[in-house]
Amino acid sequence: MIIIIKQNAIMVLLGIELLLNAANLNLIAFNQLQPELLTGQMFALFVIVVAVSEAAVGLAIVLCVYKHHQTSVLSELNELKE
Amino acid sequence: MEGIATFDLLTGMVLLTPLASCLMCLLTSERYSWLVTIIAPALLLVSASLSVFLFFTTPANTSHLIGLAWFQAGQYTFNGNIELNRLSVLMMPLITVISFLVHLYSIGYMAGDNGMRRYFAMLGFFTFSMLGIVLFDNLLMIFVFWELVGFSSYMLIGHWLEKPAAAKAAQKAFIFNRIGDAGFLVGLMIVWANTQSFDLSNLLHLPEIYSWQTAASLCVFCGVVGKSAQLPLFTWLPDAMEGPTPVSALIHAATMVAAGVFLLARVFPLFTTDALNIVAVTGILTALFAAVCALNQFDIKKILAYSTISQLGLMVTAVGVGSENAAMLHLVTHAFFKACLFLGAGSVIHALRQARYQAHENFDVRDIRNLGGLQKKLPVTFFTFLIAGASLAGVPFFSGFISKDSITTSVWYWSGDTFSWRWLALISVFAVSAITVLYTFRMVWSVFFAKENKPNLSITETPWIMRIPLILLSASSIWIIVSLSPFDASGWFTIQVGDLQHSNLVTLLSSGVVVLALLAAWFMNATKDKPVNSITFLQHAFGLDLFYEKVVGQSATRLAALTETTDRKWIDGFLHVTAYTQVSFAHVIAWFDKYIIDGIVDAMAWISGVVGSFTRSFQGGKIQLYIFWAVAGLIIFLFFELI
Repeated sequence: MIIIIKQNAIMVLLGIELLLNAANLNLIAFNQLQPELLTGQMFALFVIVVAVSEAAVGLAIVLCVYKHHQTSVLSELNELKE
Repeated sequence: MEGIATFDLLTGMVLLTPLASCLMCLLTSERYSWLVTIIAPALLLVSASLSVFLFFTTPANTSHLIGLAWFQAGQYTFNGNIELNRLSVLMMPLITVISFLVHLYSIGYMAGDNGMRRYFAMLGFFTFSMLGIVLFDNLLMIFVFWELVGFSSYMLIGHWLEKPAAAKAAQKAFIFNRIGDAGFLVGLMIVWANTQSFDLSNLLHLPEIYSWQTAASLCVFCGVVGKSAQLPLFTWLPDAMEGPTPVSALIHAATMVAAGVFLLARVFPLFTTDALNIVAVTGILTALFAAVCALNQFDIKKILAYSTISQLGLMVTAVGVGSENAAMLHLVTHAFFKACLFLGAGSVIHALRQARYQAHENFDVRDIRNLGGLQKKLPVTFFTFLIAGASLAGVPFFSGFISKDSITTSVWYWSGDTFSWRWLALISVFAVSAITVLYTFRMVWSVFFAKENKPNLSITETPWIMRIPLILLSASSIWIIVSLSPFDASGWFTIQVGDLQHSNLVTLLSSGVVVLALLAAWFMNATKDKPVNSITFLQHAFGLDLFYEKVVGQSATRLAALTETTDRKWIDGFLHVTAYTQVSFAHVIAWFDKYIIDGIVDAMAWISGVVGSFTRSFQGGKIQLYIFWAVAGLIIFLFFELI
């Protein structure tokens, strides 16, 4: 919901992090179906690592965009459309 | 082989020099038009001397074919072969020599004329086409040249195109010739349909006599009737006298009208007995008919014209009785003496025209009632005219006597011992000879001997350039030109012409007829001052022209009017209705096209546009919206999947 509604790119990134966390919770919770394998936990850890790097790259891009366009509002970044 | 090649070259030169003359006359600019009076006769002199050389060097009875492929149509090859045989070798010098003399004469006669270039060009063209008829071996080729001489005749008759009578006469000659040529064309079709060949070298040596030959030869004869002015198509020739007199001498006396007789002699083997009978009857009727008409004319040129028709009739008769050699002999002698007569008449006209101009008088110089007593004033003309006239009349010791005698002899043998309709023909031939003497005497008498009509005119003899042709032509009318014996045709000349029959009895008879007719003519003319009166009905050729005008002409006009109305009312009306229907139908189709078909296309475009803009609305370039729709789609998908 945050992803869709928020105007600012940073907030959208934040939404994506929350989304990934929710997915992690789901992975761990559903690991209970096969508790001896710990696949869910392993996958959650993997997701956390990816999420961190993704957040770093995402924030760097947002920073670059902000530097260039003086804005980080998504609806205003429509250079390709025009 | 060397000699043969020379013959080819010489023949080609004889044929092409007159054409070159025609072209050069046309290319000469109007400013230097006097040049044509030198160029044209000089080129013709070349052609004439070459053809005379060919005449004397070609061995008798040769038949030398110069092969020229013309064109190919499908599987058939058309050849334009030139054949040198005794007929063509005889005709070539005849045409070119007379043409040359006429060229010479025309320099004097046509002096000061505006259309000199056109005149000499057409003379050259005529000579070329006439040589074409004589030389080519292919019937189709002959037909082409046949039409070309008709064309040049048309051009030359109408040379003085500002004279309405001349223009009319030219058209008349053209149309009458077309009527005959239509028959000729049909004849060509019959020949082609039956033999698939136009080459005379094939046609004249058919293995047997076929029934189609009668029809084919009669159709060819139809062309001859037109060209050689036979009954019933002869009335164009007297009218053609509206042309310049040298033209009449060349075309309407010596060569073109004789082309018909030449053609008859050329395709003689094609003729069947039935066809020949018709030819003979036509010929003798024409001869008699025209001789009677000639006796009733007052126009000096028309007398000569009718006499030409009559002599041509005799030649056609000779072919009809199976003696094409006699016809050819008479053709040659007739060409010389008739050309001389015409040129003589021309010089009378020329001299009187000048005298009339000086005296500021106005009278018809061609009317023999206005002439008379010219033998002192025009001595050369008189003398040559007299010789040629004697030859025409068939007086012994002249060439005309010998050739006419050979025709009479062939008719004599043809008519047989027992009485049949052929005897009537024989009697008619004698009658024609007698009438010929009568009208010739009447003409010569009233022009040269009778009391002078207008003594105050100062008439001077024509220039030398006009006298030389006259003298040469009249010299060719003496018997020596044909054979050494004045009563027997078989001499050096007949080697070229072919064998002729001879009968002492006939010679004696025809001499007797001529002498008697001379006496009769003397009594009829010499006792009066004026020429013998004429019967108007006969003067107008038995009203044949009137008949053509009233019956043929008017009915043709009426038919034309009828067809015009039909065309305009019915055919055009039908066309208009069809057109209107089509246009209305087209409007309906246009409406249908505009609103239905275009409408469908437009609707499709509109629908796809709407769909497009609808789908476009999902892709606003907003990434969050995409996610929303993706999630929404997923939810919908799951919703349907899970329930």
